[in-house]
Amino acid sequence: MSAPPLPQACSAMLRRDLTLAWRRRGDLAMPVLYAVIVAVLFPFALGPDLALLQRIAGGVVLVTVLLAMLLALDAMFASDIEDGSLEQLVLSPQPLALMLGMKILAHWLATALPLIVIAPLLAGMLHLPPAAMPALLLALLFATPLLSLLGAVLVALTAGTRRSGMLLALMLLPLCVPVVIFAAGAVAAAQQGLPWLAPIAWLAAALILCVVLAPLACAAALRIALDS
Amino acid sequence: MSTWIPLWLHKLGSPPTFYRVAGAVRPWAMGLALLCGAIGLYGGLVLAPADYQQGDAYRIIFIHVPSAWMSMFIYAVMGAAAFVALVWRVKLAEVVAMESAPIGAAFTFITLVTGSLWGKPMWGTWWTWDARLTSELVLLFLYLGVIGLYHAFEDRRQGARAAGFLAIIGIINVPIVHWSVTWWNTLHQGSTVNVFGHSKMPWDMLWPLLMVMLATKAYYAASLCRRARTDLLALESGKDWVRQVAETEAGR
Amino acid sequence: MNALQHFFAMGGYGGYVWTSYAVFFAVLLADNVAPRLRRRRVLRDVRGRLARQDARARRTTSTTP
Repeated sequence: MSAPPLPQACSAMLRRDLTLAWRRRGDLAMPVLYAVIVAVLFPFALGPDLALLQRIAGGVVLVTVLLAMLLALDAMFASDIEDGSLEQLVLSPQPLALMLGMKILAHWLATALPLIVIAPLLAGMLHLPPAAMPALLLALLFATPLLSLLGAVLVALTAGTRRSGMLLALMLLPLCVPVVIFAAGAVAAAQQGLPWLAPIAWLAAALILCVVLAPLACAAALRIALDS
Repeated sequence: MSTWIPLWLHKLGSPPTFYRVAGAVRPWAMGLALLCGAIGLYGGLVLAPADYQQGDAYRIIFIHVPSAWMSMFIYAVMGAAAFVALVWRVKLAEVVAMESAPIGAAFTFITLVTGSLWGKPMWGTWWTWDARLTSELVLLFLYLGVIGLYHAFEDRRQGARAAGFLAIIGIINVPIVHWSVTWWNTLHQGSTVNVFGHSKMPWDMLWPLLMVMLATKAYYAASLCRRARTDLLALESGKDWVRQVAETEAGR
Repeated sequence: MNALQHFFAMGGYGGYVWTSYAVFFAVLLADNVAPRLRRRRVLRDVRGRLARQDARARRTTSTTP
């Protein structure tokens, strides 16, 4: 019995994870709902002052999306650990990093993409100037996969523990500080009419680096956490 | 393992030997720490003249700056030990890495608190989002993450390896955070504070600082010895040498 | 006396200076005490286990003559 070729294995992995995600559509809606709730609460807390809301809109949407992703991050490998399919994956002949990369991609498609889709709506509710909208969407498009990749490494590290919710947030905070700074920096620059492509380019560069390194780190972390 | 590593290092790596050596080193390190600390703080608090700009409030730096140096130095030691632990699976390296974390967190906490206490009279605010302060805060979160991850595992050695991996990721992260916050500050044109107005420090302010720095280094060595000894006892509690230690100390 | 008061006042910054020194020493003291307590606990556990083992060994030797 020979192992199936790599592209086939990758697509099978992607299809499996997306199917599983689709079967649990209710869970997928949770982060979106959470983001909407948080974004709606801000105007109530700060008052409907247009200038103030405009000023904070970009940052609020970014932080909201980040928190919503953090909410979903915990579940990235949880069901696979429970039913033992993650250990099968570790033992499979395909390179673990590549397979994990596919899992991260599936997770990003299932949780971050809906958030990006509703982000303009949230930003509109907070009166973000339309001129800053492309910057916000591009920033989200680069920042969310970065968070997924960095988060995946940490989730893999906590794979051997039972409870990890708050710990995950504590570990992710130092890693996501630069991401938030550059994403919010791009939106802020766009709002002030300054050139905003540079921070986006930094995010893109970080994303390329992470796409290569994070799955490898994720695989190493998983080997540590499941090794017993 | 390769042959270029001297034999005494292998011997030192074995828990009972390290336990003995650390026990012998600890009082000397602690004594050195107390001596240097007393001399340095006497020099800093009494002998050094008041600063012409900051008055006497600058005397906080005699503990603030050494603590800040230690917070980074200990993180580097922890990262290096974690690397050794992950690559060669040396039990002692795991112990050193994980027992360094609380000491480092303590120094980071001291740095943040004394920094605020210094900033209030000097800049008029407890906290500013300057690159140095923010990096220090992020460092504290990294320490707490490492400690938290270590304790989340039931198997101590597995926890040490996972937390060590996190520590290594953190080493890459800290310079990135520092640089990105600097960039962020230039973007927002906010309160950029020059923490060290003086480029050159007069000698009678410098020597107490160096003395306290030496003291904190020695203190770290002493505290690490104590913590590592305790941790080794817990890790190897089934072994004969721990039994002997327990029996000899029962009489006391 | 006056000199001592002058020293503790720290040119009006006494509150800040002495608070930070207090924090410094308090945190390091806590860092010192925690492993001491843990060491005592670990050794007590080891001794307890040893005592149990001894008791069990003595019982088995006494019941099997």
